[in-house]
Amino acid sequence: MTQTMELEGKLVQSQSPHIRTKRTSSWVMTQVLIALIPPIIAATYFFGWKVLLLVGLGMATAVLSEYLFQKFSYQKIRIQDRSAMVTGALIGLSLPVTAPWWTVVIGAIFAIVIVKQMNGGIGKNYFNPAVAARVMLKVFFSPWITDWVLPGTDAISTATPLEFIGNGVKTVAATVPSIGELFMGFNLGGNVGETSKLAILMGMIYLILRRVINPKIPLLYIVTTIVATGFYSGFDLDFMLTHGLTGTLFFAATYMATDYSSGSLTPEGKTAFAIGAGLLTAFFRITFNFPGGVGFAILIMNALAPYIDQKLMPRIYGHQQRPEVKYDRQAK
Amino acid sequence: MRFSFKGKQGGSHPDENKERTANLPIVEAEVPRILVFPTTMHIGAPANPVVEVGDKVKIGTVLAEAAGKISAAIHSSVSGEVVAIEKRQTVNGLADCIVVQNNQKDEKDAPIINFDQKLTKEFILDAVRKAGIVGMGGAAFPTSVKLDSPPGSTIDTLIINGAECESYSTSDHRVMIESSDEIIQGIQVLRHLFPHLKSIVIGIEDNKPEAIDALEIASSEYADISIHSLRTRYPEGSEKNLIQNITGREVPPGELPVAVHCVVLNTSTTLAIYRATTFGEPLYQRVVSVSGTPVVEPKNLLVRIGTPVEFLIEQCGGFNTLPGKLLSGGPMMGKTLADGSEPIIKGTTSITALTPEEAEVGDSSDCIMCSECVNVCPVSLQPILISDAFERGNIEKAKKLGAMDCIECGNCSYICPSKISLLENIRSAKALIKAEQNKAG
Repeated sequence: MTQTMELEGKLVQSQSPHIRTKRTSSWVMTQVLIALIPPIIAATYFFGWKVLLLVGLGMATAVLSEYLFQKFSYQKIRIQDRSAMVTGALIGLSLPVTAPWWTVVIGAIFAIVIVKQMNGGIGKNYFNPAVAARVMLKVFFSPWITDWVLPGTDAISTATPLEFIGNGVKTVAATVPSIGELFMGFNLGGNVGETSKLAILMGMIYLILRRVINPKIPLLYIVTTIVATGFYSGFDLDFMLTHGLTGTLFFAATYMATDYSSGSLTPEGKTAFAIGAGLLTAFFRITFNFPGGVGFAILIMNALAPYIDQKLMPRIYGHQQRPEVKYDRQAK
Repeated sequence: MRFSFKGKQGGSHPDENKERTANLPIVEAEVPRILVFPTTMHIGAPANPVVEVGDKVKIGTVLAEAAGKISAAIHSSVSGEVVAIEKRQTVNGLADCIVVQNNQKDEKDAPIINFDQKLTKEFILDAVRKAGIVGMGGAAFPTSVKLDSPPGSTIDTLIINGAECESYSTSDHRVMIESSDEIIQGIQVLRHLFPHLKSIVIGIEDNKPEAIDALEIASSEYADISIHSLRTRYPEGSEKNLIQNITGREVPPGELPVAVHCVVLNTSTTLAIYRATTFGEPLYQRVVSVSGTPVVEPKNLLVRIGTPVEFLIEQCGGFNTLPGKLLSGGPMMGKTLADGSEPIIKGTTSITALTPEEAEVGDSSDCIMCSECVNVCPVSLQPILISDAFERGNIEKAKKLGAMDCIECGNCSYICPSKISLLENIRSAKALIKAEQNKAG
């Protein structure tokens, strides 16, 4: 007799489906960490070993503050989902190499405790923790973290290219690095993670191939910014591409606008989110003279995302209209 | 993440796992000594037994008659004697069953109908009803009801469903290859039911090129029969999605395909209709694929209805490792079996055994808002929001989010990286909504 007679009581009884994809939430976050390796290597190459200190400190602080917050608020410890590591690494990469160590620590604590955990934790926070921390540091700690230096041991203070092309300017000044330099990251000051667009592009392609991020978010975001600056400059190609390749646009479009929690849930919402972020970024850069237009653009879209989702809920098969339901991720 | 730039998507790609049986010809399964016929093997009212313990039966003898319109007759699949009418374990839990002891003589009863007749609507419907034919793709809805389109309805599209999108399952695949001519003949019979028919489409996933070829050849002389090569993705074979992908029409909520002038029939059902109307043969056997990692020698078997699952497993060499789950159907929509004593019924497409590792569901964690469930839903629901609404007790919201439109394909639970039991929650929400509607009256 075969084993069939021994089956009784040993077979699991449950509802369908009976299989699950191998992919887990921590796997997803690991992919993002892997995708951050090229920018980390590029930043270390350009700015030296201190980059690793910034990134490591950011990750350690983020994980520790998440652990402590969850422990002291009697929640389940969830640091193993690795999302805090991602946030910490992003904050480390969002600062210039001259940033004092404590700015990373403050940024990471702010991101995890106030922006993430106090707003419901993973999947519930409306604002991207890393972006919010970045903007907060820019606003309150500007003197310490906007001392841009060119790569190299001399640490010559410099202006970022954005300061030459923002604030009403319509053409690119000769002092701005070439498109090639901007793309590769040579001779460029700025936050360490965002200098080499090539490295970021590698990370972006990795995340797209791994199907972790939806390609339309970074691509529509970057393209919209470029096209919007085109309308402003009368389609001066040099001006448009310089905008596309400067500042934190590439970095934020790849690693921050694609954040699940603070982004849009619906397919059409994602499109609106990316285009909106692109338009706002162009608007801030052209109209105002302050750093961090990308950060503000993403935060505003983060705030709008629930309303976008509510308006753009997919039309259900066979129905004439979209469902009309209040969208509230945080409601208990 | 499944993405498309068009916004509308849906569908997932679980491992197909069809390679172990896809190329195996159908073989006749051995017939057991004892066969069990549940009176509940179709959607609708249980059939009324018309035999008593001790009655002699032959192949095709009516064991139970349809009880009302939405019900189906049940026939013996062997010759022998009725030995019990009692509750037995079935795929749908304990149910009234007629138990027949096989005398191994395979004597056949008279045809169910005088089949030497003109193919009128009345004759075809009568034959299908008397043959006890139900949807053989798994749903087991009485086919005569489906075919009896209300007066004034103008069916213009007949869709034959050969998608077979469930993993492991290869029964329809083999039927399409080995009985392609009979399927086309079945379509010729069905034509007589629908005077306004404009097109006949056989939908087959593009992972079954041999089946597509076989039916292309078999249908070559009929200009209005076309083979529609479907994308291989789950659940391409769901009736609603098939209609949408082939005709561009969407069945309105709560309505049947007839509302959009379509009739959808499974390939094996079409074959059964051909046999009933041409030879007066009732539905007493069907093709079942038996597969899965623990199965030693997977097979495509022509099985007598009423055969216990464990008897088929034995013919497939038994298990080389203890399965964690034994399923009637595939891993996405199949139902768990308690011990393998459950009989094969008319809607059993396949038997799938999963190792404990394959059937591992994993611990659930908080939603990370990855939107994968939204991306894979074939009817464009937002499963996580419905699940959330249910967990908060907001049934009204679950309803507004379209819980009742869920076709229970399982894609959302399958794809979730946080292993949230999305479909389980949606099912619970549906049950509460239904209960409320019944109360309201």
